[in-house]
Amino acid sequence: MEILSRLNSPVMYIICGSIVLFVAIVCIVFAVRAYRAGKAIGMDVAKMKRTIIASATFAVLPSVGILLGVIALSGSLGTPWPWLRLSVIGALHYETQVAEAAAEQTGLTSLSASQMTPEAFSTIALVMSTCIMWGMVLAFFHCKAYTKKLSRPAEQAAGEAADKTSENPKKPAKKKKLDLSGFGDKAMTAMFIGLVSAYIGSYIGSLISGEGLFTFKGSAVPLAVAIVGAAAMALFQYLRNRFKAEWLDSFSIAGSMLCAMTAAIFLARIL
Amino acid sequence: MSEEMKKQEIYERYIASTHHIGRILTIITLVLLLGAPFVIGAYLGAMPNMAAFGKAMLAIGIIYLISGIVEYLIYVPMLGAGGSYLAFITGNLINMKIPCAMNAKDIVGAKSGTPENEIISTLSIATSSLVTIIVLALGVLLMIPLQPILQSPALQPAFENVVPALFGAMACKYYKGNFKVAVITLFVMTLLFTLVPSLTGSTSFMIIPSGAIAIGLALLQHLKEKEAKA
Repeated sequence: MEILSRLNSPVMYIICGSIVLFVAIVCIVFAVRAYRAGKAIGMDVAKMKRTIIASATFAVLPSVGILLGVIALSGSLGTPWPWLRLSVIGALHYETQVAEAAAEQTGLTSLSASQMTPEAFSTIALVMSTCIMWGMVLAFFHCKAYTKKLSRPAEQAAGEAADKTSENPKKPAKKKKLDLSGFGDKAMTAMFIGLVSAYIGSYIGSLISGEGLFTFKGSAVPLAVAIVGAAAMALFQYLRNRFKAEWLDSFSIAGSMLCAMTAAIFLARIL
Repeated sequence: MSEEMKKQEIYERYIASTHHIGRILTIITLVLLLGAPFVIGAYLGAMPNMAAFGKAMLAIGIIYLISGIVEYLIYVPMLGAGGSYLAFITGNLINMKIPCAMNAKDIVGAKSGTPENEIISTLSIATSSLVTIIVLALGVLLMIPLQPILQSPALQPAFENVVPALFGAMACKYYKGNFKVAVITLFVMTLLFTLVPSLTGSTSFMIIPSGAIAIGLALLQHLKEKEAKA
């Protein structure tokens, strides 16, 4: 556990804390600029104040949910790094998946402090930072052009499209095209189903053939923990729908994970 | 110059400088975030293993590249310029920033694409990000005295099973309403891992065929539904 002491050292808090502080300053800069611009263009100050108060109160519960995520990851990655990741840019489900995949490539069998090495940690940290940077990269290169395009009046865009068509009147229309409208969301969900299925499939496969083909002598703990996680999530969803408690959404992932992780302490002794 | 024209000019100047400042701050944040693992590596005495990094990026980076592009295309129209730069820097989009900005927009009755929406969205995302930063900083401060407990051997099984805990919860969330796609994909993956147990060491690579199967099945289902409606 020597690695955890180093991952929780003051130096790590200074490195991660300084980035968190920088991002806090970025938020203040954007907020002050927006407030001043709003005033200058004659927006109702009361509306802007209401926005600030509503957003601050809205953010408290999800933030507590995010804090639970920091606790969940602190046992394997120390506290400062998950604190940085979840304060800035990250999201709990993303961080855990990417950290696990990176851990695997560095030769660890699981994302755990008992196997962690300094090289594995710095590699995991780099993968976590790189995998999620695309939104920022795209915003850097493309946000100006994209927002400009979006702000064009609809009639102008329609007119340009009509012009393009009239330029090529002889161009034959395609006979039949696959109708993929509305598939984007489904494809994203399917991608996550694929991701989850690969891991759950590996837990079942390990249980059945982990210690020899069809011997059923592999560890059942990961599968049992996943089942508890799923049951906890089902309970969260039931309570949310039953009592119309939408605020529970903020806690469902982190709360289910903590339930399953608590169960793991007992399951590891029994199974 | 009329009052309206003056206001329009002020707003246009604000948007232009938002892009300018947004780009500068985005690139600084990117450098800080990508540089941090190397600084930490120097402190720990072990730099990132670039071969392992490359393999991990190949296995899982592609998924997040695609989802990153999709999220970018969907969220920028909702958030406007300032809100977008800030949201992509501060993260937690789907679980906080988007609903928070939409909530603020509804409360004040701002319409999409208007200057009012641009300002409200930026204010909302900046405020919610600051609240998260403060809550997490306070929480982390309170956690420091708890470190010995969190590191105790009795709690280690909990932390060693973070990933199964997450995937169980996510399975419940994503499998619901997509039962056919989920069952077939899970069955195929289980079969593969059972017949070739050594694949367990490359689970992250198996995400690619697993994702391809799920997307293929979802596409078939989608086309069938469209055909039935037509």
